[in-house]
Amino acid sequence: MLAVTTKHLRTNKRGISNVIVVMLSLVLVVIIVSNVVLWSYQMNEIDWERMQEKLSLVDVERTSNSRWFTNQREYVLSGGSQLLGTYNDTQAIDGAYESFVEGSNDSQQLNINGDFALDFASYPIELVRSIEIQAYYRANDSLENWFMKAYNWTNGEYDNACFNSTVGDTPTPKFGYYGVNAINGWQSYVQNGTIRVMLYNERADVNQTSADIDFFGVRLVLNKPRFSFTNEGSMVSHVVSIWITNATSHTRYDADFFVDSGANSVYMELAIDLPVDSFTVRAVTERGNIAVFNKN
Amino acid sequence: MRLLKRWVRNKRGITPVLSSLLLTVIAVAAMALATTATYVITTNLRETMSERLIIEDVWFNNSTGMIQVYMRNTGKVAIHVSGVYVNHTESYFSRPFNLEVYQHQWLNISRSWSAGDVCSIDVVTTRGTHVGGYYKAP
Repeated sequence: MLAVTTKHLRTNKRGISNVIVVMLSLVLVVIIVSNVVLWSYQMNEIDWERMQEKLSLVDVERTSNSRWFTNQREYVLSGGSQLLGTYNDTQAIDGAYESFVEGSNDSQQLNINGDFALDFASYPIELVRSIEIQAYYRANDSLENWFMKAYNWTNGEYDNACFNSTVGDTPTPKFGYYGVNAINGWQSYVQNGTIRVMLYNERADVNQTSADIDFFGVRLVLNKPRFSFTNEGSMVSHVVSIWITNATSHTRYDADFFVDSGANSVYMELAIDLPVDSFTVRAVTERGNIAVFNKN
Repeated sequence: MRLLKRWVRNKRGITPVLSSLLLTVIAVAAMALATTATYVITTNLRETMSERLIIEDVWFNNSTGMIQVYMRNTGKVAIHVSGVYVNHTESYFSRPFNLEVYQHQWLNISRSWSAGDVCSIDVVTTRGTHVGGYYKAP
């Protein structure tokens, strides 16, 4: 049988030629089809990824804050003394606090002074809009208001002339926040990157006031727009540009940051200048989706 | 010497050689043609499938009097814009407008509009991809 087939093939040259032509044609067709199918698969995958991307721009703020700077040595006191804890207990709101008590003399008022070193290397001074000072504290005498002042290096004395509020804070037996902002002229309170802050009670009375401070810190408020993103998709989003548009201008800023799947992420950019009036922000992803936020 | 004389006199041997040579040349040429055609066909199909283009921003710019469309190439091949249609009418734009992969830039369309107009903008590439939509002039 084999011998017959071999002999048949040897003699019939036209058959072999047909087979070769068909085989070559098949190879070419397979190359074309596989190329198209594989490329189509790849582009479908890209389209599918784009459809799955769910990036939202949830908020845009004009300013952002630095980290908190806390006192790195024991407070300097006048008109009172330290009862419990150390300055380390005032570096975070964590339930651990430092206690102070007013002097026994009726005329004494408790002054708590601390030096807070600010990191202008990480936060350029030209971007600083104001300085926020905050205490989380409690006091047992609600008849005495508490105030803050900062040392004015120009005038050589403590004052609160550049503070946004000078009315003070009425303490309660429960812990609460008391904060002020040094706005215009805050530079006079800073020397060699340090601000000296005083927390004191209003006036002395017959009650010997005690105060517990859980947190006492200072932070910088920066002229640095802050964009808050939420990625509800299943893939990481890569933001490649941010548009700030209003009635008179459409400005595009290059961006290069990633938002993880299921994560909230904040993007701060120095170069972006937000308009004073209402505007629209659009963040464009590498896949071609656009997240929009309107600020009125 | 005798052998050489015999080979020169023997005309019958040349025809099969020439015939085989000719067939080989034709076969090689046919294969080259088929391979080139395959390459061209697959490349065209692949490039047409790979075009992706988005509009990042549309600005009815009063200061320039033009409709400015900011385009980004998000596909895998370079893009050449062949036509722009505003309200289904072909409009003049800054030619040539080409975008390499991941490139982005303004496409300026010379077209007048009035405040509140809703314009249909359609950008067409040489491979036939359309991108656009309806945009309202502020």
